[in-house]
Amino acid sequence: MNRVPRLISVCLLLGSAGLYGCAGRQDSDQALRQAGADFQKVKEDPDVLRSAPRDVIRAGELLSRADRLSGYLGSSTDVSHYAYLSSRYSAIAREHSHLLLNQEALAKQELERQRLQLALREAKLASAQRQGQWLEDQIVALATTQTDRGLVLTLGDTLFDTGQAELKTSANRTVLKLVQFLQLNPARIVRIEGYTDSTGDKDENLQLSKDRAQAVADVLTDLGIAEKRIQVQGYGDDFAVAANTSERGRAMNRRVEIVFSDEKGHLGAAR
Amino acid sequence: MSIRPLFAALAVASLAGCASDPAPTEQLKLTEQALEQAKAVGATDDQDDLQMAQAKYAQARSAMLGKSYKDARMQAEEAELDARLAEAKVLVAKSEEQLHQLDTRLNRLHKQLGSAQ
Repeated sequence: MNRVPRLISVCLLLGSAGLYGCAGRQDSDQALRQAGADFQKVKEDPDVLRSAPRDVIRAGELLSRADRLSGYLGSSTDVSHYAYLSSRYSAIAREHSHLLLNQEALAKQELERQRLQLALREAKLASAQRQGQWLEDQIVALATTQTDRGLVLTLGDTLFDTGQAELKTSANRTVLKLVQFLQLNPARIVRIEGYTDSTGDKDENLQLSKDRAQAVADVLTDLGIAEKRIQVQGYGDDFAVAANTSERGRAMNRRVEIVFSDEKGHLGAAR
Repeated sequence: MSIRPLFAALAVASLAGCASDPAPTEQLKLTEQALEQAKAVGATDDQDDLQMAQAKYAQARSAMLGKSYKDARMQAEEAELDARLAEAKVLVAKSEEQLHQLDTRLNRLHKQLGSAQ
């Protein structure tokens, strides 16, 4: 090889390096090492590789470009530049990977949240059902009788004033329980039946029995039970439960009976 | 034989970025978009990366005016990646916040479930 042109080329290189390459060689070496370390880290991280492969590839490309350039004199500005870009791509890749991992965790937790919400709703429902069962027991305990007509709750005559159809406030507790029971058992319907003793005019008794049954029905509808779930029937002095000869017997005959359907809403036929 | 030094000289010239560098208009557009995107997702001047991106973008623009195209390109390229890093960091911070909120809700649900049973 001819020595002279070679010397010229070296001179040219050195000359241009002197003209241009003033950004410190040390700085560019430092940047290059940093970029190499950054790239190494993301390259070895399977999460980063999986979630941001393109960024990792760009970081690698820019790193080798910076590396190649560092072999030339006067290239330190370019080396620093490409090393910087490479480092940035590595950093972006890391952030993107972080983002993806977070999003995956979010999706997982969202599923967990839905599962828990469902479980909570079921638990609440179960407790409501238990409460319903408790109320049912209470209703049954409220002097109900299981007759061939179904479950029957009797409201005694003390809940009404003599000859009056308005329910007394002392009936409130029983009525509220009744409402709760009907709300927790939305399929059930009721028939409210009014009865009197045999004292007095038969037609008046029939009317009074109807009015009293209707008064109970009105309170139930006022408290939010749908009208269509309530049937009203007056029987006057028919179907006495005791002899009308004694005051005690007559008191027992003055009553309102509430007949419950079964859970599916089947109500026995009226008398 | 005497052609080799010429190649070397050319290579150095192109590396050094003489006046023949084309104007990096496309790169400036890309950088501007990256900046807008970062701001759109909620990056603010509180972030060093965004500040750097904006400063470099301003430098790139003034380098364009002075026809120092190589300098303009380099500044714009770095500004683009600074902006994209700022954007990614904002998104990560947001997802952290969401995770935290969801965590709180899950804890509340666990507690409620505990007392419901």
